[in-house]
Amino acid sequence: MNDRAAAGTSVEVQATYRVLVVDDDSDMVAFLARLLEKEGMVVETASDGQSAMMQVMTAPPDLVLLDVMMPGTSGFDVCRQIKGDETTALIPIVLVTALEDSESRVRGIEAGADDFLSKPVKREELVARVKTLRRLHDTRKELESRRLAAEVQRKEAIRKAFSRYISPRLADRITAEAGEHGDPFQGRAQRTSLVALFADLRGFTRLTEKNEVGAVVSMLNEYFAILTEAAYQHDGTIFNMAGDSLLVGFNVPFPQPDAAERAWHTALEMVARFGPVAAGWQQRHGLSVGVGIGMCAGEAIIGNVGSAHYASYTIIGNPVNTAARLMQMAAAGEVLVCGPLYERIRHLVPAGRVAPRGDVTLRGKSESIPVFAVSAGAPEPA
Amino acid sequence: MTAADHTVTVAKDLADLIPVFFRNRQKEVETLRSALDAGDFKQLAQLGHRMKGVGNSYGFAKVSEIGKRVEDNAKTSDKAGIEACIGEYTEYLAKVQVVYE
Repeated sequence: MNDRAAAGTSVEVQATYRVLVVDDDSDMVAFLARLLEKEGMVVETASDGQSAMMQVMTAPPDLVLLDVMMPGTSGFDVCRQIKGDETTALIPIVLVTALEDSESRVRGIEAGADDFLSKPVKREELVARVKTLRRLHDTRKELESRRLAAEVQRKEAIRKAFSRYISPRLADRITAEAGEHGDPFQGRAQRTSLVALFADLRGFTRLTEKNEVGAVVSMLNEYFAILTEAAYQHDGTIFNMAGDSLLVGFNVPFPQPDAAERAWHTALEMVARFGPVAAGWQQRHGLSVGVGIGMCAGEAIIGNVGSAHYASYTIIGNPVNTAARLMQMAAAGEVLVCGPLYERIRHLVPAGRVAPRGDVTLRGKSESIPVFAVSAGAPEPA
Repeated sequence: MTAADHTVTVAKDLADLIPVFFRNRQKEVETLRSALDAGDFKQLAQLGHRMKGVGNSYGFAKVSEIGKRVEDNAKTSDKAGIEACIGEYTEYLAKVQVVYE
């Protein structure tokens, strides 16, 4: 055995098609390598089955040219191992067998070999067989890259569609989890525990009365941009935006064990971020505005609601209705929280900033619920 | 046998591999003799099989031909037959001439 086969050296040429030549006969290795290199292929070599397997596992080649009769692990065993591993199964294998050895060919087919080459090896036959497999390999790669490109395009379309409603992080997660059949929200209507946060703009009516349409829209856009950013920062999902109010859900559509904390931090961010803007509006337009927020936790239904022509992915149920009522009651800069939710976030709320409102009977409700008013100051670290 | 019978044409792009090829063939003769002395017909069959595969790949049909006979004789444990093959192989390697084109 010469040094080349013993050391399993690699010859670098300007090509990207890598062939692993496996043979215990160093002269055969040198011969096969020379012919393949002349065709512009990168050749790596191994002198036994075990080192061949190591090389295939560490740096999978594009094709394996494999001698059948080798001491130790035979070519059949190597072939079977490569084809039996899903990460290497697609690597084409050409078994090099004696011309008259039909039994080897049958065993080779059983082991998963893609093609055969007879010894003594004819240059033209070697080149033709390898080139054919290379063409197949290139075609497969091309098809795979087209499939991947289409998949990326499809996921990007889904991401774009949903990133209007949910945070970019959630959009990425949904697209990553999206199956082969489009809409990841399809058929997901279910009853689930969630936290609903309703926010609206105190002083909105006066704002619309005192300003031109263009100015009102521009101010609303500024206001919603702030609220949306705060919701997305904590991975809230925006379910509704109407007039000057915004509905954000947590623990939906994906579980968030810390949904209550996320909602609390979102509320603080909304109030704090809007503060300087409100001050600016006050100065420029003489308007007194601020964000009022209502939050509640409980079981609700999440799903697509609507007709075949218009549907909305939304949340419906008690916590949503209660949050809406609390929002209407909240003063500017105030966050009203229902009792069950307050119990989950009380460890985050500084004692001096909370005032129990007692049991409140909300409009349209027969039973009263405990409500806590929290004045939102500077945001706490999330 | 004439001188022409011992002349083999080999592709130019294999020229630098030929000296190594012949060194390995000379070693092969020694290994064949050792295996025959030891009566190791399994090894002799393997050596013959290898000669058969590599010889004509480089263009040396005679090496493949002798290799096949070594393999066949080893399978029938024909010591004398293998002895004759080794003699013929030694003589061939001494006389063979290579022409590159």
